[in-house]
Amino acid sequence: MDPSQVQSAEFAQFLAQEEQRAKVGEMVIKITNVCWDKCITGTPGSKFSSSESSCLSNCARRYMDMSLLIVKRVQNMQ
Amino acid sequence: MDSFSSSPSSGSNSQFQSEQLKNQLKAQLAQAYIEQFMETISTKCFDKCITKPGSSMSGSESSCISRCVDRYIEATGIITSTLFSSPH
Repeated sequence: MDPSQVQSAEFAQFLAQEEQRAKVGEMVIKITNVCWDKCITGTPGSKFSSSESSCLSNCARRYMDMSLLIVKRVQNMQ
Repeated sequence: MDSFSSSPSSGSNSQFQSEQLKNQLKAQLAQAYIEQFMETISTKCFDKCITKPGSSMSGSESSCISRCVDRYIEATGIITSTLFSSPH
């Protein structure tokens, strides 16, 4: 492989990594958005109560579980 | 002494440009992410704290917003560590 081919392959890998990173970031933003609404019902205080923090982490896990369920369900329909 | 244009190993010049491009892309992606994050915080905290917009921002409104920003960033941290550290 000549140097320019090596560079293209390397660059393609770099782009794939950055795309993956961007998707992960999107997911965190989305889930925080949704779980904030679910879990932080009153006016924000100077710290989270323990029920608020456990709600947030439960929410994130359940959201991921749900996403998987949805994919499986939709796949079964096809 | 223009070492770049007269260099026989033009590979090293394009390598440098490739690194520059990668760094530029990373910076732009990071910037876009931050902007999106800030926009989300603005929406959420406006909803929580500015219930009846008045002719100026009250002290309680601005302290609510400060707390809200802190909490939202904390919430993001909780969710990030929930999803990316402990296996369940």
